[in-house]
Amino acid sequence: MADPKSAEITITLSNDELHILINLVEQLLELLGEANFIHHYQSDDPFAQLMFAAMGNIQSPVEQPEDPVLRRLLPNAYADAESSAEFRKYTENSLRTAKQKHLFYLRQQLLSAVEKELMKADIQVTDPSAWAIAINDLRLALAVRLDIEQSSYEKYELMPSGDPQKPLFAFYVWLGGLQERMISNL
Amino acid sequence: MSSQTQVEETLDLSKFFDNLWVTIVWDDPVNLMNYVTYVFIKLFSFPKEKAHKLMMQVHTEGKAVVASGSREEMERAVAQLHEHGLWATLQRDDHGRS
Repeated sequence: MADPKSAEITITLSNDELHILINLVEQLLELLGEANFIHHYQSDDPFAQLMFAAMGNIQSPVEQPEDPVLRRLLPNAYADAESSAEFRKYTENSLRTAKQKHLFYLRQQLLSAVEKELMKADIQVTDPSAWAIAINDLRLALAVRLDIEQSSYEKYELMPSGDPQKPLFAFYVWLGGLQERMISNL
Repeated sequence: MSSQTQVEETLDLSKFFDNLWVTIVWDDPVNLMNYVTYVFIKLFSFPKEKAHKLMMQVHTEGKAVVASGSREEMERAVAQLHEHGLWATLQRDDHGRS
């Protein structure tokens, strides 16, 4: 970022938070079609399993993706299918690449923090805009998996504590807070 | 000025309007209000007040026209909005007919 003030943002994350975030970032990278990296964690993580239960294959760019997360991240640009297909043919790959770039950047920032092996690590955010975009994509993906609607906070409150989706829901809310902090620094 | 010229001018004008396209941003339950405002400022260089007003329009009315221009320009705008995770489409400007 050109603005020197933006470069001063520091985010403090616990080891658990880093672990969950890295896992989600890697799962989303994989869903977007970039499997060409070594996962930092084993993906037997229950969060990853919850999130990518319905992970699909990479679709031909002319068709709308089958996976509902990809449908939200790579949406139709037109109301009619024919124009949307034409638009997708020329733009979807660059959209995927742009999203992967933001996620790779976030992953890099998180990995350097995790390597310090601290209970809580400070991260010097070098590009808060890329953070905000990547976190937003993670929230969009989680929201599709969790069936988030306008009244979802009430839904969360009413969820029994044993509901397997409750921790994922709590993480979704936590990510919103993190994004809020990032945006207030932009 | 002959009447023939006037007819031609009218035709040219309608052709011009037919080439106007708009970019629409749709409401969704995920994107944070201040994030949407930030994206409008970043992509369209709107003053903060205008960006906030458009964000509120998306939030309360379900959608808002955020840009208009040629089809190519609107396709670029939609692609950028998608990159930022906003739900956007483009369509021919219907001049408020629908």
